[in-house]
Amino acid sequence: MAATANSETSQIHRFHQYKYVDAVRWLPVLSAFNRFAVLATSDFDSNLSFIEIHSFKPNPLSFDFQSSWTSPSPISSLKASQFLQNSIIAATTSSGSLHFLFADSTDATLQSEVSVPENELHSVSETCIDLMDGGVECVTVGDDGKVNLVTVGNSNLNYRRLFDSGGLVSYTAVKWASPVEFATGGYGFGLHWWDQRKPGGPVSQFKGNWDKNLNSGIVHSIDIHPSRKHTCLAGGSLGTVLAWDLRWQQQPIILSGTGAGDGAGNSAVQSISESEVWEVQYDRCIKSNTSSTRILPAMICSEDGILGVIEQGEEPIELLAEPCAINSFDIDQHNPLDVICSLEWESVAILTRQ
Amino acid sequence: MSPDAVGNGALIPFSGETNDSLAVYPLHHGLARPISRVALSWSRGNSLRVSLFAEPSGSFDTGDGAKVIEVKLGGGDPEIDDADWRRIAYGSVAPFALLQSRRNSLSALSKSSYHLDWWEHVLQYSKDISSLLTGPKLAPNPIIEDPNEIVTKNEEPTCLKAAWELMEIFYVDKQSQAWLPEKLVDWLADYDSLFTSTQETIHGKLVDFQNDLVNIQVIEDDPRYWEVMSSALSVGWLDIVVKMLRLHGSYQIDQLSKRELENGLVEAVAVLISKMPRLRPESAAGNLGECFKSKPDFTKAWEKWRSQITKLDCSPYWIQCDNQQTREGLRNMLQVMLGNTENLCTASCYWIELYVSHFLYIRPFTTGIESMYNLAQKCIQLKTPTGTHRLTGLMIGILAENTEVVIAEISREFGPWMVAHAVELLTSGSEEAEILLHDERYNLGGISMVELHRLAYAQVLSSHALTWQIAPIYLTSCMKQGMGLLENLLYRQSVQHNNLLLKNIEICRLYELDHISSNIMKVAGVYHWKHGRKGAGVFWLQQSQDTNCLDRIAQQLFDSVGKSISDESFKQWEGLIELLGSESKPAGGLEFLHKYRDFKKSLQMVYSGKSTDAARQAVGSLILLMKNPSTPQRFWLPLLFDSLKLLNWKDSPLLSVSETNLLLNKLQELSLARQRPHFTEPNLPPQALSSIRLALATNLGRAILDE
Repeated sequence: MAATANSETSQIHRFHQYKYVDAVRWLPVLSAFNRFAVLATSDFDSNLSFIEIHSFKPNPLSFDFQSSWTSPSPISSLKASQFLQNSIIAATTSSGSLHFLFADSTDATLQSEVSVPENELHSVSETCIDLMDGGVECVTVGDDGKVNLVTVGNSNLNYRRLFDSGGLVSYTAVKWASPVEFATGGYGFGLHWWDQRKPGGPVSQFKGNWDKNLNSGIVHSIDIHPSRKHTCLAGGSLGTVLAWDLRWQQQPIILSGTGAGDGAGNSAVQSISESEVWEVQYDRCIKSNTSSTRILPAMICSEDGILGVIEQGEEPIELLAEPCAINSFDIDQHNPLDVICSLEWESVAILTRQ
Repeated sequence: MSPDAVGNGALIPFSGETNDSLAVYPLHHGLARPISRVALSWSRGNSLRVSLFAEPSGSFDTGDGAKVIEVKLGGGDPEIDDADWRRIAYGSVAPFALLQSRRNSLSALSKSSYHLDWWEHVLQYSKDISSLLTGPKLAPNPIIEDPNEIVTKNEEPTCLKAAWELMEIFYVDKQSQAWLPEKLVDWLADYDSLFTSTQETIHGKLVDFQNDLVNIQVIEDDPRYWEVMSSALSVGWLDIVVKMLRLHGSYQIDQLSKRELENGLVEAVAVLISKMPRLRPESAAGNLGECFKSKPDFTKAWEKWRSQITKLDCSPYWIQCDNQQTREGLRNMLQVMLGNTENLCTASCYWIELYVSHFLYIRPFTTGIESMYNLAQKCIQLKTPTGTHRLTGLMIGILAENTEVVIAEISREFGPWMVAHAVELLTSGSEEAEILLHDERYNLGGISMVELHRLAYAQVLSSHALTWQIAPIYLTSCMKQGMGLLENLLYRQSVQHNNLLLKNIEICRLYELDHISSNIMKVAGVYHWKHGRKGAGVFWLQQSQDTNCLDRIAQQLFDSVGKSISDESFKQWEGLIELLGSESKPAGGLEFLHKYRDFKKSLQMVYSGKSTDAARQAVGSLILLMKNPSTPQRFWLPLLFDSLKLLNWKDSPLLSVSETNLLLNKLQELSLARQRPHFTEPNLPPQALSSIRLALATNLGRAILDE
């Protein structure tokens, strides 16, 4: 059983949106007084999809709509980052187009948009993107097996295809590790390591004989900590969260998962969830003073409604246990105590830890 | 009924025999030509999709040839829009599921389905649901209170919540059964405004008066002031009445000295009102009136209070009061408090208000539904309703103890959500209702009314992309037909989007429907395969353990596998082979890919170095491949051609006699197969076969010598 965080240690606010929330992110802003969240929403009654900016104030409590941009089709992947004086929002749609929105850093008004039309980067398929921190480089991957690199300027953008598996391998997650390296995830808990300096395919594939004990699944999300670029944290089916250390390739560290079976070294693994882990991020809030050999604490959200923190060798902590799925979450970069998450039942929850 | 297309473009449903239920709804489709064909199908939710095809025309410029129109059926609930209904649907899942699991654990403990404290669980459920039904929050009250504000509202009341609370009061809340009349007083105080839509109400009168308040110079001279106060008093809104009394002109400092006596009378009535004894545990914080829990205490206080009123009524001060309006108004209020039927009848606007005033001032001890029903009949006679309101039908049904009428009313007025959830309230305390609703009926196809209404609600949920995921909760609580419909629902979901697919599979896992999830994964596998996502296709087929299908797609896959070691494209296959995982997993014909990859790897090592060990390993892989029945025949020759270097190994023969014989036999088999019709010639140099033959023969000779 996972320990439940005391309600005194965190405040939870729920905001019903009356439309489906596909993804949520905090918008990195310079202003100390304003907090903004980016929501990708789909209104099933009017068949319209939006990227919306809401401003959040804890006292008096409010979560007010600021501005929105109408998307041609539902958003499948959403990232936000900061670039010079602008907040930049990148999103791919289910029809395969890619859009960059620029927002003012202080009042978060949407100012301009540049996009790559559908079928240029990906055919109609599910896609995933990652935007480089503080940068303008964006990597997009899709289940059509294409890997693209997009560089965005103020009004123009360049893109090139790094790889095309022709559908033999599908990619479902991607994360930058350094300005030239990134990791991708896919079916069968497949993880690939890429280096732009070595084109033609992944430089390293995650493999090992451990899969005999592990039921297969799909990687939904990857995170890489800036201070430990050699470790790739991945979350996916069957409550699986694993860390793949490039230096010890044959042995993944299983942090959670029901599919882990009783393989050597994994018998003590506690599972925080039994279903899909939709997103995983290193928890920037916990200052872990443990030795560098241990994996840093990570936060996950899952289909069975859990938002929790897992740490290697510790009991998982449940921050939220909802009756519906938690589809995505984001930890505020500037204020890591605040977490925003999107719930299946058309609402958004904001958790403020003490 | 069948739709008929007529020349002017209107669709007219007709029933054939009778014409009295005919309804015509014109559709604006904008087709220029006459319609030749109409197709109808269900779209999302309550929408009907109407496809209209025009008569074919010879020329191109006669406008569109067909139109598809979505027709939304039923106006929906005027109070609650679709998005808000969904919010209610989401929120009621947890209370419903909790109540079902409690019922199951209780019935597991004992055979009897009726439990003494069951109503407490239902009450908890009812409160949870009720908290969802709150309408949109109004703007928070201003910090500075407006002295002229008489009626305050915190939230917009809804008929849905009013109906729910009415049922809770009568069916569930056993603890307050003794204070049922007072509960009704509170209920009317919360929801009187809802009746304003169909008739005049005290709430409506109050609001009108409040709006006019700024224009009134001397409030006590306005007859409406006194009229509204007696009305509010008759339904027990003591706070409002006292607040209004204090607006009386005699309280103003400049007038106090001149109107001392008049002010004394006003204040005396205000004090009497605020001391009114009530038979109830406690009222909401700050509310006026004195509450008594036990009947004897209440009776004592009640008698004392009434004697005080009578005493004031007979007091000589009235003659000295020279303001006629004040005098008459106040004495009228005293009559209301004394329970004068005539005054109560004038003060109230419609029968429910009169009904409530009877409980307050004439019959505070009314108990038993039957006597309450009789009183209601009497009030309806005194105040004949001018129109019907959606809540009055329900109220009469409840008072008449007619469960069928109650079900019919809430079903008609509030729809499937209400019936599916309110059934729990109806059955909570009454065994009769329990039997009525849980009995399996022949005319319903062997299911009970409870199940029927749950199924109907689940159908509504299933028809919307955002709510289908909660339908299983209701379907699994239906013993007879729930599982069948659940299987249908799960099969019907799209497999296109991974997230949706995984959510679907998760529901299968929760309800242990492995055979369904396996079929869904099979469908997903074939879907992805067909759309060129070979890896995803193989993954799902593997998950569904469908070796048959894997075998079949393996044949297609091999057509595109690199045919020679030098082929760089094989690198792409690495990812797919990795996906296939270990050999313990079902891979069907794709198992070959594994061994092929191992063989290619060791062969590569042979080419890069010259180690005999590596070469021996490669030979091992080659023999394994050739022995394996899953290796497709068409790969035999390319494999051998790739291995020429091994067969001609310089230092010593790498293949034993038996191994060489095996390979020669395979070559023989191939030459026989070549005679068959569908043989495809591998893309190899023309001398390939002869060089393989030569190498094998040489190797055989050397091996025999060695042995």
